Amino acid sequence: MKNKKNIYTLISIALVILFLLLANSFFDSYQIRILNLCAIYVVLGLSMNLINGFTGLFSLGHAGFMAVGAYTTAILTMPIAAKEANYFMTPLVSPLNNMVWPFLPALIMGGLLSAVAAFIIGAPALRLKGDYLAIATLGFGEIIRILITNAQSLTNGALGLKSIPNTTNIWWSFGIAAATTVIMILLINSSYGRAFKAIREDEIAAENMGINLFKHKMLAFVIGAFFAGIGGGLLGNLLGTVDPNMFKFTLTFNILFVIVLGGMGSITGTIISAFIVTISMEVLRFLDAPINLGFITIPGITGMRMVVYSLLLIIVIIYFRQGLMGTREFSWDSVIALIKKAPFKKGGAK
Amino acid sequence: MTLLKANKITMQFGGLTAVSDFDLEIKNGEIIALIGPNGAGKTTAFNMITGVYKPTKGSIYLNDSDITGFRPDQITKKGIARTFQNIRLFKDLSVLDNVLIANHLNIKSSILEAALKLPRYKREERKMYEKSMELLKKVGLADLRDEKSSSLPYGKQRRLEIARALATEPKLLLLDEPAAGMNPKETEDLTLFIKQIRDEFDLTIFMIEHHMQVVMGISDRIYVFDYGVTIAQGTPYEIQNNQKVIEAYLGVSEDA
Repeated sequence: MKNKKNIYTLISIALVILFLLLANSFFDSYQIRILNLCAIYVVLGLSMNLINGFTGLFSLGHAGFMAVGAYTTAILTMPIAAKEANYFMTPLVSPLNNMVWPFLPALIMGGLLSAVAAFIIGAPALRLKGDYLAIATLGFGEIIRILITNAQSLTNGALGLKSIPNTTNIWWSFGIAAATTVIMILLINSSYGRAFKAIREDEIAAENMGINLFKHKMLAFVIGAFFAGIGGGLLGNLLGTVDPNMFKFTLTFNILFVIVLGGMGSITGTIISAFIVTISMEVLRFLDAPINLGFITIPGITGMRMVVYSLLLIIVIIYFRQGLMGTREFSWDSVIALIKKAPFKKGGAK
Repeated sequence: MTLLKANKITMQFGGLTAVSDFDLEIKNGEIIALIGPNGAGKTTAFNMITGVYKPTKGSIYLNDSDITGFRPDQITKKGIARTFQNIRLFKDLSVLDNVLIANHLNIKSSILEAALKLPRYKREERKMYEKSMELLKKVGLADLRDEKSSSLPYGKQRRLEIARALATEPKLLLLDEPAAGMNPKETEDLTLFIKQIRDEFDLTIFMIEHHMQVVMGISDRIYVFDYGVTIAQGTPYEIQNNQKVIEAYLGVSEDA
């Protein structure tokens, strides 16, 4: 039985790779970009789910961590000529100005710096609980953005960075999304993962069972920020441009929506909803255009999409608070059970 | 030999003194009960011993080493485990996970070793698993290991909470009203169970309890609280005949 499941898993992985191969050669660049965004949202969603869903820390600083990762990766990978063109107001500080790193080390550096930022923020903020933690992390996220806006010689300030190499392709984004997923699964099912969940379930009991709250909260926070930084780096090098306004707290809420819809505390749920949310954000674009209903024509209102989107969010929060998956995870057993239960045997209830 | 010693510990919340000058001495292997009317400060005393509150005054010693002001997790590592008055299981997690979590405090592998499943971690994980299963067998919950802990019947939840506390390998176990809400049959089972684990795990037990049947049946000594003050201590027999205790529970008679 276990063998059979392994085979299923291998087949599914092969199918995904095949799909990506086909997508890479037959999809247009717009569709490929959406696929890339889906994978990046998987990374971001998983990283936030570790903090908010598994450890139960209501943190809203994600956009800040992404900004650190995106800027680090962008600055490190940008060719020297592009750096000179970008920093025409104030030149980039040495030695960054003539330093070009390959993509992977730059991404990891972005993750590490983001983790360092999380450590500095977490030291005071993780002493708070619940809403207070949310407000503090939200504030810290904004502080990071303001710092980036004002560190002209390092980040080019409000001008942002352009002509960042578009290194992120389907293989990078899906490869890193897959790696993140595997690491998260291993982490969550380890003894440390159980400790995180214990903190989510009941802090007082967890502490009385010998779990050092501060240490474990910090671990979850820093690891989550590391992957947020990597996700940010992927995003910056996908879009080819970053600027401080990209990393406002609305970005945090997009990711929060992904994990709430997918189910706080479910890796499977986060992956599914990362795809649903990213694709529907694009599909719903038709709402911004004029709509002809035959008898009446609604003129195009820009932002209509966001109205619908917010309504969906409200409906999810009111009626499906558990999200798609709750805290459940995908397993072949449940899939097999579902297939057996459903359509084929209609007379099953004899 | 003295296991736990509290020296005049006092807990004040603003102007309210919840516990004042509590002197406690527990010897190895004893079962000690703490009784008193509602709001007498019993749980506050527990919270001071387990580090949830830092005593305003006084100090606490475990095996002659000062543990006053330690954090709860540090105190658990030192060998004091507890259960809660209103059950605090990790509700969404399985019975087995609940016990496994209590093994985490002794982990030596780093988080990196754990995430990469390196050999040392695998060994530790296997040991944790075996230890937890053995414990679950001993408390009679092994068949229910994959059930969500909140789906267990009340009596079994209490039992699981005790098993979880035992998984931290305590020397001293603090039980906060273990028989609360139990029917007579369950209460009787619990009494036997407490004695059984005391002998099997070489424990010392300190409990808060209202069921006089349980208290009088198994405790070696009893402390009685009223309004945060220790009004009596002694053997069950002495306590039953103590005038102050009777007054605290039943009130003072008019013509006395």
